Amino acid sequence: MTGLHPDTATPPAPTVAPPPWPPADASVVLKGVSKSFSGLVAVSDIFLALQPGVTALLGPNGAGKSTLLRLICGLARPSTGTVWVAGGNPRFDADVRARIGLVPQQDGVFESLTALETVELAARLSRLAEPRVEARRALALVELDPTMTRPVGTFSKGMRQRVKVAQALVHDPALLILDEPLNGLDPRQRHHLIELFAELGHSGRTVLVSSHVLEEVERFGSRVVVVAKGRLVAEGDYRQIRNLLNQQPHRIRVECDRPRAMAIGLMALEPVISCTVTDTGDRRLPPDRAPAGPLAAQADSTMSAPAVEVTTNDVAELRRALPVVAKRLDLTLSGVVPLDDDLESVFRYLVGGPPGGAQR
Amino acid sequence: MMLYRMLLGQQLTKARILLITGFSVLAIVLALSIGAQVDPANRIESVIGFLSVYGLGFMVPILCLLLASSTLGQLVEDETLVYLWLRPNPRWQLALASWAAAATIALPTTVLPLTAAAAIGTGSQAEAVGATALSMALAAVGYTGLFTLIGLVLRRALLWGLVYIFIWELFVARAGAGAARLSLNTYPHSVLARLTDIELPLAERSMTAALIVPPAVAAVSVALTAWWLDRTEVA
Repeated sequence: MTGLHPDTATPPAPTVAPPPWPPADASVVLKGVSKSFSGLVAVSDIFLALQPGVTALLGPNGAGKSTLLRLICGLARPSTGTVWVAGGNPRFDADVRARIGLVPQQDGVFESLTALETVELAARLSRLAEPRVEARRALALVELDPTMTRPVGTFSKGMRQRVKVAQALVHDPALLILDEPLNGLDPRQRHHLIELFAELGHSGRTVLVSSHVLEEVERFGSRVVVVAKGRLVAEGDYRQIRNLLNQQPHRIRVECDRPRAMAIGLMALEPVISCTVTDTGDRRLPPDRAPAGPLAAQADSTMSAPAVEVTTNDVAELRRALPVVAKRLDLTLSGVVPLDDDLESVFRYLVGGPPGGAQR
Repeated sequence: MMLYRMLLGQQLTKARILLITGFSVLAIVLALSIGAQVDPANRIESVIGFLSVYGLGFMVPILCLLLASSTLGQLVEDETLVYLWLRPNPRWQLALASWAAAATIALPTTVLPLTAAAAIGTGSQAEAVGATALSMALAAVGYTGLFTLIGLVLRRALLWGLVYIFIWELFVARAGAGAARLSLNTYPHSVLARLTDIELPLAERSMTAALIVPPAVAAVSVALTAWWLDRTEVA
């Protein structure tokens, strides 16, 4: 289900009955959950249902992401509201906790144990029949050598992080909670773990990943939950969320052979707010002076196509009008590219600018 | 068992080994010195008096505090408790393993050197040696339980533990009979006094109570630790 918090935008009036909430296949359901610490509200009135697959939890630093994850795991008690995981309460139901795997944000690990001992301890506490075998399997998943005799205390941050992921995976949990799981990892390891989490999501596990690196979040998938100032701001597919942000004009790049003429033509249209010619194409060399062979490709790659950047509050209407305008003015339309339906833009609109948290 | 081994492995740091060694050597040297200096007729009384103050008043509670308060306290402080808390084990297992890990180190490192000190100081007087071993063991069992709980429940557990040892046990407990009953120290003192037939301050409990209360304190503390683990919020 895609939606915005009522404070964020007014979604169009529904024409059909809304789907039932929580969905039948939801493995995590939070109903009216709030959490305060000494009078300070960390999380406020959250209604959230998570289904199998990967969901990214986004929000600036201090937005309440970690508190929300702790509530889901049962590590913290909600001040109000209820948390249900796999039909039970994770705070008091050991069988529910057995189905959760958590990679906490903090760096702390059992410094004196080896990687194998750390993961084997987790396996034993999870009552697995063959803890050592399972520990080796989990370490292999994160590409760590189980025969290493060094204590985890001597590991680099990236290696510790992978030990934390391995202990979370060792009992093959149905719900995997990952709080900034890619911190300290090199690009290759990041790529590997992103693929691993995506694979777990595809195989029916519910994976909730908190991250403030938006580029990584986009690679996890398109389903996001956005929190800001302790409130759930939006949830669902971020592209659909963008479409619901009606009060935020859309920016579209229209590529054509004569952008000035296109800009003039578009300004006459009702849904168009402004037009900016970003590249007239004038700098391009005439065909008789243009470089040939490999140089041509190089020159093309360094020059953007002639284009006009259009701000509109009705993308659908603009898309319908564009071919009509192009035909009327005898222009050649070569591309229409949305400029702000990426995750970063959606995030910026929802929480008010690239925050101390979110980064690319 | 692996949980117990892990917690046990975290107990002995270089600083703690140095402190245990220092306390142990000092106990033996002082007992030897007292035994050598005093009149043979008063030797047992003097050495037992010294062990009641040094052993039961300082060494046992301080070493137990140091070891037991950090068992779960360290996990809370470095935020690794989450790895144990989130697993589907009963809380009492973690509480019991924590107490057992602390007691495994505290018992031999307090009982053995203090018993050796009693043997050296009294010329291996059997009653004194036996009473010392039993009273120190009872104290270690009770204190490790109590301080395991305090380590989980209180921030700056070491400080609060020292306040308890020095303010409550050494001063408040001696002020009146009611307060003395709430002092853990009074029970092993009573065992030491009754088995050696020597008068000691605070030694006013019956032998039965003195034998039962310290293990009962440990058991109740373990139960409360498990209860607290169930209700605590974990970082």
